[in-house]
Amino acid sequence: MLLLLAILIPFLFVPLLWIAGTKLGARVGWLAVCAPVASTALLVLTLLNAAPGERVVWEWDWIPSLGLNLVFLVDGLSLFFGLVVSGMGVLVVIYSAGYLDDHYAFHGRFYAYLALFMGAMLGTVFAGNLLLMFVFWELTGIASFLLIGFLHTDAESRSGARMALLVTGSTGLAMLAGIVILGLAAGTHDLKALLEQPMNADGREKLNLAFVLMAVGAFGKSAQFPFHFWLPNAMRAPTPVSAYLHSATMVKLGVFLVARIFPIFSEAGLWSPLLMAVSFGTMLLGALLALLSHDLKAVLAYSTVSQLGFLIGFYGMSPSSGAQSDLLHIINHVFYKGCLFMVVGIIDHSAGTRDLRHLGGLGARLPMLAVITAIAAAAMAGLPGTTGFISKEYMLKAKFDYWGDGDFAAWYPLVMVTLASVLKVAFSLRIVWGVFGGRARPEVLADLHRPGWNLLFAPALLAAACVVFGLFPGLLGQGLTHFWTPLLHAQVQPELYLWHGITREFLLSLAIVVAGTGLYAVLAGARVNALRIPRVLAFDRLFESGVEAFPLLAKRITAALRSDRPFDAPAIVLCTFLLVVGGFLASIGPASLLPTQVNWEEIDPLRAFCVGLIAIAVVLVVVLPRWTGQLIALSIVGFLVTFYYVLFRAPDLAMTQILVEAATLLLVLLLLARFPRAAEIGEANDTRVRSWRGALGILVAAGMGIVMTLVTVAALNPRSAAPAGDYYLKSTVPLAHGTNAVNTILVDFRGFDTLLEVTVLLIATLGAVGLLMRYRRSASEYAAGPMGPAGSGIELEDPTESKPDEKGPNESR
Amino acid sequence: MKAGDSYILRSVATLLFFVVNVFALYLLLRGHNLPGGGFIGGLGCALSFILLMLAFGVEAAERILRVDPVRIAVAGVSLALLSSLLPVFWSAPFLRQYNGKLTQVPLLGDVAVGTPLVFDVGVFLVVVGVTTKLIFVLARSVGGLTGLSLGERSRYAGPLETPIEHGEARPRTDGEAKP
Repeated sequence: MLLLLAILIPFLFVPLLWIAGTKLGARVGWLAVCAPVASTALLVLTLLNAAPGERVVWEWDWIPSLGLNLVFLVDGLSLFFGLVVSGMGVLVVIYSAGYLDDHYAFHGRFYAYLALFMGAMLGTVFAGNLLLMFVFWELTGIASFLLIGFLHTDAESRSGARMALLVTGSTGLAMLAGIVILGLAAGTHDLKALLEQPMNADGREKLNLAFVLMAVGAFGKSAQFPFHFWLPNAMRAPTPVSAYLHSATMVKLGVFLVARIFPIFSEAGLWSPLLMAVSFGTMLLGALLALLSHDLKAVLAYSTVSQLGFLIGFYGMSPSSGAQSDLLHIINHVFYKGCLFMVVGIIDHSAGTRDLRHLGGLGARLPMLAVITAIAAAAMAGLPGTTGFISKEYMLKAKFDYWGDGDFAAWYPLVMVTLASVLKVAFSLRIVWGVFGGRARPEVLADLHRPGWNLLFAPALLAAACVVFGLFPGLLGQGLTHFWTPLLHAQVQPELYLWHGITREFLLSLAIVVAGTGLYAVLAGARVNALRIPRVLAFDRLFESGVEAFPLLAKRITAALRSDRPFDAPAIVLCTFLLVVGGFLASIGPASLLPTQVNWEEIDPLRAFCVGLIAIAVVLVVVLPRWTGQLIALSIVGFLVTFYYVLFRAPDLAMTQILVEAATLLLVLLLLARFPRAAEIGEANDTRVRSWRGALGILVAAGMGIVMTLVTVAALNPRSAAPAGDYYLKSTVPLAHGTNAVNTILVDFRGFDTLLEVTVLLIATLGAVGLLMRYRRSASEYAAGPMGPAGSGIELEDPTESKPDEKGPNESR
Repeated sequence: MKAGDSYILRSVATLLFFVVNVFALYLLLRGHNLPGGGFIGGLGCALSFILLMLAFGVEAAERILRVDPVRIAVAGVSLALLSSLLPVFWSAPFLRQYNGKLTQVPLLGDVAVGTPLVFDVGVFLVVVGVTTKLIFVLARSVGGLTGLSLGERSRYAGPLETPIEHGEARPRTDGEAKP
């Protein structure tokens, strides 16, 4: 119950914060802190109640018929990530309260999105069913989209948000496919069952495919190659969002997923090769791009990409007996990267820029900030005395062990990690020196202002954590034992020490620091500022042009199919119909469809009379010269069909038909009023049109007549399967408690269809309104207002702007 | 569409408006047991507004309706969705419908009530909103007004949207992605 509350509270805060934001303005942040604080407290209580290594399942029915229930799984891994999410949530909201001052608008909305995100994250990590996890997983993507695009007046903000949504959303769909395949192979989507029951031989064959698809989802969310480009573009979001979503929590979902499915897939043949090749490659690529970037946030974004690569690759090289000290690496990254992002936000806030080429010399003005940054950067570089050092020692140890007994590309992790670490030392130095060292530029100093305590509080706390746990790693190690997860973690976790003696890890670590410092010394100054990211590596441009190619393609196809004459549109549609349905009928042989005998005595005279009237009206539609007359004849057909329904005792159909008939008649009249007078005369006088178009028209009409007659006759033939209608008629009273079977089918038996249909209706309306609104008219036309009686036509004042399809009628006038 | 200038049309439309709506509601309410239902009722109600539009002009009809018809349609979808979701909260399947009977109601006698009616009201609202909106927009456009009023434009369009015929002009996204 505590757990459900912890997940539910952020969701409950969403509307509350939204509404309160309109009244409180920037102060709503202090109300928003309550949500993560409450969630954290509840999760801590859950942790205290849970024994280490235990797997507890909470379950509520949701859609039992689909095997989809609200199942939440509490174990070490989910509690660890849950506490990271809610704990960072507290710090980030406190930081946001200082960051989002009165220069920003829509505070309520911002915190509501944050709370939505937090709820979705907690849902994802605690989900005990893969389908449920997918729902929350995509919800985090939507919240991230809203948060990245929060400054929606900025074009880059919007394109960054769109990119993040498209990449994480589409890779999420791949993950869904993987989940479905896994579910088919194992017969369940329940995580506990999946983790604890061994897969049968039949299921094992599908494991690799399911794993690759799920890995794509993880790579997309965690910005791994080739999806790494969305993360730097997501940095358009306000900095608290970057610190929270794009370094500490959401991008770690890929890591979480890999950890979650570790026991299921670690035996699969592709596990190590795929994860290691992609992730360690990304690690080096990210570190390289981070060194080549100049925007502080881009540097941090690429370094996050790099570190996430390491975290995912770490699971890839872990033996299937279990991973060791993975949580240490994750929490270390949370500490220093969250801290650095917040620091960058403060620098941006105080100095007005975050371009490394323009910053410098702030150390004397902002000493407190300089210390915090130095600590966090030291942790990033892995200097002794910080958690980064501990993490790096154990990481190098794992790599050496892997070199010793790994079975796939044993040298690969060690080499990649070493190279990436050298680069990491270099750009850590660059951040600290570039911002705080050297000479300050006067234009930066001009509007420098000191950050308030509420801005400094969160990063200071994180930096303190880096140092305290760095000096006393035993504390951290003890804390992490609470999160020990069976099947994922190795039975024995190494105890954490600061000093291991002079080992090969220590020597390599030393060499990395020296090499990184040397690299920065070589590059320092003007040379590093001149570096550029080569065009080959700018995947985001490729992606953008790909996205923009879609509307272009659609436009091309539309241009190819469109016609300026209304005549052509039905001709295309009907010819396609004739080809498909007529072809099908021809293939089964139309003769077999015709009834063998016709009983002429069964024909009801009244119905026959009605049908005769309909036929006459149809002939009138064809024969009459003007559209007004044709339209009246057509509506006569419609009303006669209504009468025909009445003869068949179908009052619902008749009523619907008569109302639809009236509405469409009005619609057509309105549309025709839009046409110029010349169209009313129609194409009757245009002899050029009459000849071949008329012939084609007769052919299509005759073909449609024959095909539809055959279809109707076929429908009348005795059927082998029982018609569905009988079932509904029989059960409408006992099951749906209504005597009108038409209505009970609509709202009860097929209620889901109706729900979707009305939704589609709404979407179609919005689309139509959008299209109609985008219909071009010149400014002078708008200014002129109503243009005389309907049917008088519209003349464009500027002939160069006239549309091609308006030219015809205007010329013939 | 310009207001018609026939006094007879206006008077008849005003009278018919109420008659048609009463009939539409009647169709909606009896839908579960007798011919009728949300779809038919909604169409009837929408036609009554279209009648008003023909007699008094689009802008008058929009004033009488007071809200943007799309909002009515959205309310309808939300109502239908909500009525289908509610059973989920007490562990019944999605879209479970409940029916009951009120006995000895004054004037009416036995009345069958049930959640299908709520769902049907949703459908009714969607049909009313969608039909009137489309016809209103078309009618405005025919009358030479803008399809949407200025206030509505900001609700339906982003600042980047251009008329569809404006060639290959792509939306402004500023290819410079690296900050």
